[in-house]
Amino acid sequence: MIAQVKAELLKVRSTRTTLGLVLGMIALILLFALLTGLLSKIGGLSTTEDQRTTLSLGSLAGIFSALAGVLLVTSEFRFGTIRPTFLFTPVRSRVLGAKLTAGLLAGLVFGVLGEGVGFAIGYLIIDARGIAFVLSGGEVALLLLGTLAATALWAALGVGFGAIVRNQVGAVIGLLAWGFIVDNLLFGLVPSVGRFMPTRAQDALIGLKTEHLLSPAAGGLVLVAWVVVLALIGLSLVARRDVS
Amino acid sequence: MTAIVRAESLSKRFGRLTAVEDLSFELAAGTITGFLGPNGAGKTTTLRMLLGLAAPTSGRALVFDQLYAQLQQPALRIGAVLEATDFHPGRSGRDHLRTLGLAAGLPDSRADEVLALVELNDAAKRRVKGYSLGMRQRLGLAAALLGDPELLVLDEPANGLDPEGVRWLRDFLRAFASGGRTVLISSHVLAEVAQTVDQVLIINRGRLVVESSLEQLTAQVGGAVRVRTPGVEQLRQALEREQLQTTASNEHVLLVHGTTSEHVGDVALAAGVPVHELVTEGSSLEQVFLELTGGDGSAVSGATPSAAVPPEAKP
Repeated sequence: MIAQVKAELLKVRSTRTTLGLVLGMIALILLFALLTGLLSKIGGLSTTEDQRTTLSLGSLAGIFSALAGVLLVTSEFRFGTIRPTFLFTPVRSRVLGAKLTAGLLAGLVFGVLGEGVGFAIGYLIIDARGIAFVLSGGEVALLLLGTLAATALWAALGVGFGAIVRNQVGAVIGLLAWGFIVDNLLFGLVPSVGRFMPTRAQDALIGLKTEHLLSPAAGGLVLVAWVVVLALIGLSLVARRDVS
Repeated sequence: MTAIVRAESLSKRFGRLTAVEDLSFELAAGTITGFLGPNGAGKTTTLRMLLGLAAPTSGRALVFDQLYAQLQQPALRIGAVLEATDFHPGRSGRDHLRTLGLAAGLPDSRADEVLALVELNDAAKRRVKGYSLGMRQRLGLAAALLGDPELLVLDEPANGLDPEGVRWLRDFLRAFASGGRTVLISSHVLAEVAQTVDQVLIINRGRLVVESSLEQLTAQVGGAVRVRTPGVEQLRQALEREQLQTTASNEHVLLVHGTTSEHVGDVALAAGVPVHELVTEGSSLEQVFLELTGGDGSAVSGATPSAAVPPEAKP
């Protein structure tokens, strides 16, 4: 499957789509940083939670990473390249496995870039105000590693989601609606269920202390479970469906 | 001789629609086979089943005695182009080939070789977005040739090609098959492939109508008798009394089907119609094709079911 992973990684690199997503991610993180910097109260950002939120701007990378994962599958169906892809690798589980692997690797890059930019800016905002840094080393490590892991997992989740939906526009809209609307609504209305949704699992994984969230370890496991379940459903559908 | 491709009672149904029904055929090594039929006859569906992209409802299709999905590195044995437009518009032609080559364990240099083969070197690093249809066709062919395959499967490759492109493709396929390699090429226009193929499979409404060599096909279906006469209408009536089918070619020429020049001459004499010319014509391949598929070469209209596909036409 290594050959297929190499092929998938070249697909990620050889169009401008990925670059566009990376630039979009950095722009959004900068925008949020600007808003945080401008809107937080004088004397704010001194509590552990305020600082954690400010430093977790990089967690916005997840949605871009997920979109990259979705596009890794759906653009093949959209442009018909799935046909030559399957002609060269007719064992479809191998193709999807390669896409999941390439997605995880690409997601790591999104995570490193997003978290690098987000954390650096968050740190600068706090530092520029001359506020004492109150997060422990362990909390910072959890934030950094958790964001990195979550961002990588998001890409794999996107691959599975894309394999289920196949239609590119539908998958992109569906994913955004899921991440931004469904998860929030569910968590707001039924937190005992909503905390198992992927965005809230990510919040838990990076150590946010919002009420009702799972523990970081449980959050990580739930996120992995989402990836596995979506990948398995996507795989069974991709293996069964005819390619037109 | 083992068959390169073998379809065994291949059938495909989509709900109530039967796209392919009980289709069986074999392709021998070193042949160029035209896979013909009107649009909607089931050609593409058959090729998709052959290439493992669609699952047959029943029956099976074997390539090199195996299901396509069971072949190790199928791209090294089979090259196929199903759609001329299967590219990401934002990826360069060369990168498109590299992504496929990587999956088959081929070096990047192979991408450059096939690009040279289809004369696309100059455009190799440009994004496909800016390619003409002809260039895309050739890029698709380049992808099929990456693994230096023994069997080439092309679905309607001449669609959208200019005459020069068609000629180029014909020469290319001839050269490809001359080395003992095998080609299966589909088309809805027999004339497009008549100069290229040695044998034809004709399907209509998902069923095999004819499987024969091109010469056999030409010989098998009789031609028409052409009569030039000032009494076209009078002769036509006389012939119709003899249950003979006629078509008026122009105001002085009549084509009589399914009979001999002797018979037509006798009928004319009996009817007292002067005959200025009487010739037996071998029907053109296109006529044969249209007779067999009972249509105008485009979609099957269903208006002429009786003329279409007499069961005994099956060899």
